[in-house]
Formats: sequence, C-alpha cells, structure tokens
Amino acid sequence: MEARLRTFLVRSGFLFLISLVLVAGFWYHREFYQIGFTNLLIIGGFVTFLVIWAARLALSGELPRGRPRGELTFSVEEADRVRKAVARLVVRPSEGTTIPGVGHVVRAMYETGPEFGRLYIEDARRAFLSDLTDADARQAGYRTAAELREMGAARWRWRPSDTVTVLRVRPLGATR
Amino acid sequence: MNLSSAAILAGVAVDAWLLAFIAIRGRRPWLQATYAACSLAYLALGAAFVGTNEGVLADLREDVALGILLLAHALTAILVLGLIHGETLPRRRSAAFLLLVPVPLLAYLAPTAGWTVATAYQGHVLGGFLVLCLGIALAETVYARYSSRLLAAPSFWLGVGVVALIVAGPVYAYELEYLGQTPLVAANLASPIALACFALVAVQADPFSITSRPSKGQTKPGSLPASDAIIFEEIRPKYALRTAHEESSSGRATLILGRTAPAMAAGGAGFAALLPVRHASLRALTTASEFLATSHGGLVVVEDLADLSALSDWPTTVAAVVRLRHVARGTGSTVVFSTCRLTDPERRALRDLRFTWWSLPDPAREIDAILTQSFGKGAARLLASFSRAHGLRQDELTTEHVPALLDFLTRTLAELSGVVVGTASHGLRTQLEAAASGLRSFAAQTAEEVARGKWPSRVSSESHADLLVTAADYWKGKEMEELFAAADTVGEREPLFERARAVFVEQLGDAGESLLRTQLAHLGKKPEELDPSDLVRIADRASIDLGSLAAIVDIPQEKARIQKQIDSIRQQLELIVEEEK
Repeated sequence: MEARLRTFLVRSGFLFLISLVLVAGFWYHREFYQIGFTNLLIIGGFVTFLVIWAARLALSGELPRGRPRGELTFSVEEADRVRKAVARLVVRPSEGTTIPGVGHVVRAMYETGPEFGRLYIEDARRAFLSDLTDADARQAGYRTAAELREMGAARWRWRPSDTVTVLRVRPLGATR
Repeated sequence: MNLSSAAILAGVAVDAWLLAFIAIRGRRPWLQATYAACSLAYLALGAAFVGTNEGVLADLREDVALGILLLAHALTAILVLGLIHGETLPRRRSAAFLLLVPVPLLAYLAPTAGWTVATAYQGHVLGGFLVLCLGIALAETVYARYSSRLLAAPSFWLGVGVVALIVAGPVYAYELEYLGQTPLVAANLASPIALACFALVAVQADPFSITSRPSKGQTKPGSLPASDAIIFEEIRPKYALRTAHEESSSGRATLILGRTAPAMAAGGAGFAALLPVRHASLRALTTASEFLATSHGGLVVVEDLADLSALSDWPTTVAAVVRLRHVARGTGSTVVFSTCRLTDPERRALRDLRFTWWSLPDPAREIDAILTQSFGKGAARLLASFSRAHGLRQDELTTEHVPALLDFLTRTLAELSGVVVGTASHGLRTQLEAAASGLRSFAAQTAEEVARGKWPSRVSSESHADLLVTAADYWKGKEMEELFAAADTVGEREPLFERARAVFVEQLGDAGESLLRTQLAHLGKKPEELDPSDLVRIADRASIDLGSLAAIVDIPQEKARIQKQIDSIRQQLELIVEEEK
C-alpha cells in the first residue's frame, strides 16, 4: 500500500511539474501569442496535447518503463508464487515463445485469461534444460530441478536437450 | 543578473557536469573526445553570453564567438554521426570531421560578408551551414530510427536532443527577432537537454568492461580467415572457445564475449561479460568494435549469441551481428558467432545472412564414436567411468580432455595386466592403440578442418552399416567386461570431486551437489581441477554458508540437525584431505 501511495505521489508530482512548465511557457511567450489566435491555437493546442498524453501514460502506469510488451501465462500456483515474490525466476521454452528483452514489462496472465499483474524483466538467459540446477529450480519456486523438468514435460513436452529461457522478474503490482 | 543569464549559467553548470560524467564514465576515447569538444563549445558559448550580458566580457571579439558557434554546430553533427555510425566504421569515423573544413573559411569571410553572431541564423551562407549541420544530425537520426532496430531507442533520444537544439537555436532566434527582442547571442538554452540526450545514448552504448585485455596494437595473423564473420554451428560453444584459445595462444588479439568467463580465457584472450541490461546487443557491438578498432586483425568470439537474443530480442541482435560483419571487414578482423542455444527460427534467420557457415560436431559425441569403433557399445561405459572420475558431465567433454582420457584408458589397461594375458591382452592393446590414434587425430583437427572433413560419428555409422558383426563386437567378450570393470575401479580411486560430491550428497541430498558446484564456481575451478587445498577452503566456506542458514532457522531440532550436517561434512572432507597427503 505504501509503495503504491509513493508511486501515485511521484507520478502526480511529475504531472504537476509538467503543468507548471506548460503555464510558465505560455506566460513567457505571452507576447508571441498575442500576435494571433491561430498561433495560440496550434502551438498551445499541441503542447497541451503532449501534456494530456503524458498524463494518460503516467496514470496507466506506463511511465517511466513504457507499455507492457508481450505476456507470460502462469498456472494459479505459479502465479501465486510470482505475486508473493517467492519465485523470482520464470522458466519458459525458448522455441515458439516471444519474450521481450531485459528492462521491459510484460503482462502476467492466468492461464484462464485474466491479467493478475505486470512483471519487470531484470535478467534473461538461455540454458539447456539439462543444465538447470536445483538452485535455479528453487528460485523458480520448485523444490528440485527434476520437479521443474517434470512440470515442463507435462505442460510443454520438454526434453532434456531442449533450450529454455530463464527470466529473472520483479512484480510491479496488480493491474489498475 | 537577469533571468536569461541565470538560465544560461545553470545550463553551463549542467554542461560542465555532463562533460565530467562522460569523461569519467566512458570507455570510448574517440567518442569521449568528440563529446568533450562539443560540450566545451556549448559551454564556451554560454559563458560568453553570460560574460557579455553581465559586463564581465565586454570586449569579447565577434569573430571568436562566431568561430565557436560554427564549431559547436559542426561538432554536434559529428557527435551524432559518431553515435550512430561510429561503431560500424571505426576506421572511417574520422571522415565525419570533414564537416569542420568550412569552419575556418566561414569565420575568415564573416567580417567582410557582414555576418555576425546576432544574425547567424539568417538567410546567408553562414546561416545555411549552421542549419545544414543541424539538418544532417536530424536526418541521420530519423534515418537510423526507421532503418535499424538496434538504434531505434538511442536515435529517439538523439532526435530529442537535436530537435531541442533546433527549437532553442534557429526557431527561438526567429521568434525573438520577430518580437524585436535582443537575441541570446549564440548561447543555446537547450544545450544541456541536447548534451544530456547525447550522454544518455553514449552511456546506453558504453562497451562492457574487458578483463585481462590483450595489449593494443598490431596482432599476429591467426589461422582463421580475416575480414570475415564465421558462424560456428555447434550444440555447445566448444570449438568457438577452443578456437579463441588457439588464436590467442598464437599471438592474435582475441576477445570472448559471453555471460560467464570460460576457463580458457586465462590462455591470453580477453573476456567481456555480457551484463543483463536493456541495450546488451548494442553494448556488445560497441565492445567488439572498440576492441577491433584498437587491435586490427584481431578476433572476437561471441560465445553467447542466444543470451544476447534473450537480453535484447532477436531483431536487435541480428542487426548487431550484421554491423559486426561490417566491422570485421573494415578492420581486417574475424568475428565468430556460436549458434549454441539459438532457436530454429533464429538459426534460419542467421543462415539467411549468408555468412561463412561451419557445421561442427559435438566432441563428446565424436569421442564416443571413436571409442565405439574400438570397444563397441561398451564405449559408453568407459566414457561414463572417465567422466565420473573427473567430475564431468558427459556433454562437457571436449577435445581438451583427450590426453586425460588416453591416460585413463592406458591405466585401465595396466590394471588388467595380471588378469588378461596372451592373445586377449594383445587384442585389447591393439584396440586401445587404434582408439588412441583416432582420438589424437580428431583432437588435432582445427575447427575449419573438422567443418570440412568427415566426422567419426558419420564414418562409423556409414562403415558399419552393412556389417552384421563389427570387430569391436567380436572382441566384446569376457576381456571387455574386465576392461570396463577395471575402468570403474580406476574411476573410483581417482577423483577428489567425486569423493567430495559423495560427502555433500550423503548429508544434503541432491542439493549437496549444487552446493559443492557453487563453491567450486566461487573458487573459479572445474571439478577436475580440484586439489586437497581446495577441499579445505570448500569445507570452510560451506560451514559459513550452512551456518548462516542454521542461524535463521527458529526450530531448535532443525538447527541442531543442520549443525550436525555441517560438522559431518567438515570431518569427512578433512579425512579425504588427510588421505591424500
């Protein structure tokens, strides 16, 4: 709750600053705008449009990290572990999966469809399934690498020679 | 001090801070020098404006101010060109400095033509040059934004910087002139914004740090073709790393780009670790480019192309690959990319680039094939014994392990000297010699030779196709069983790693092996490199790690159990060390 309040205050402060700059700009160029209604309409309208656009992005949580790119689907148990930050690693098959790179935000969805949050990708690497260690598995919320492989074999028909993408993620909070 | 002077003075302070930041933070001397020259020009213009406005520099010469203004604009274009093209054409980046040629000429003609700082952006030749410089910067930025996935994000910020300079420069000058107000006399209010954007792009593309960098300058030619980019198609980057090792050993400046340092990097090759950052592909490109710009004819091995793809998506990575080929051609160097862990669509996209393509075998599989030719299906057992003895997984076997494998087989045979005699002993020795010969000749082949030649796995499958019974199968009798048993015995006696692993697994289950391997990684050693002194250090470190785990457990019984495990591991490891003395 405290983090959300802080985020809200930072975003609101940012918007307020932009509004101040906007008003200051109009005041500073007041003589220029006196030369005609058209100038004020075009330039002022454009600047105001930019401010409204920035406000929309800020309020939708897309600033400063940008819009979510792509999505990751989770089972209910997996989603619970990710939301509670018990699991920091997400392991997904490399083949046939498009995952945005580091520094991007993805939508975290339940397998059944609804979005339960957004995840910030802190790190990404490729590994052979057979190279995953127990430590990796524990960070992904499983007891052992064998358990992780079993889950993958059931869900994606993994074989030991398959490559997987190992993502380190950080939950950014629930959908607004 | 009026508002304009205060604003420009604040801008000067920001410019100075950015200059210091890039000077300290950057790893590209050429770019840093260009950035410094550009920011110094804007800094001087700002200081001149404040000085003139406040009466400190009342006698500032008009031609000096005009010269700096010209320099600032030309250097802006050069800096933007350098940030966009500097990495692809490291040897030709000085060509951008040709934009400075008109500067002295225009400064010389200014007094006679009546061009002044106050009227700099008006419709004459000088004004045209200033606008042309900003126009070049903007046009290149827009072109890069829409033509390159790799430079899309940086070119956005470059665009913001250039547009800010245009708005606060020519556009603002026209506005002030229209309103009949005093112009800002060359100072640009937006210079801090522009320089901040340029600094951001410079930092986003900053090369990764290189550990154990080879000495700069000319390098000896290697065996790989120069001025080319070569794709090593292999399951694991074994030949890529071996080639890096061989080339660096022969005196060629070599750099390996990967996530974790390979053990072979100690052989003289430099290593740059790919960090988990948003612009990893761009930074990998600048790292390789800067390295090859200072070491012409060098070699860069991109071991983890798949990880680059994971870090900053495939289209960006493939754009960096294409640019690296240009760098290789421009500097007479070689760049090697390993296809390890790439997906099928990524491999196909790489094939479409029509680079030199070498398909390489997995040495582990080829070693197995060579042994199979001599020892039949029992070869897998021999390899398993050897791998267990050296704490290796079978897929970790490389040609580097061939001498150790031969030694292992020789000792295994020696174990049998009292058991197997006569014709059988002679037969086994003949088989071993045949295997040794095959292994040695395979290990001696370079990546290029292996890529061209027939692999043992293919030869054996072809030659045995029509036979009902192979020679190896013929010999697979009692003697072979004894050979395998002897190999197991040799294996059991040998490895420290295996013994240490047994201790950890006994106490901690499967997690014990992970803990041991983690400790090994901290020591920077491979399982086969373990020696008794390492075991002592591992015992110490494991005690600390597990001790801290015990400290946070609240249940007394669990705490006592973990403590007991710690003591037991330590005692058993010390026992092994004692036995080894």
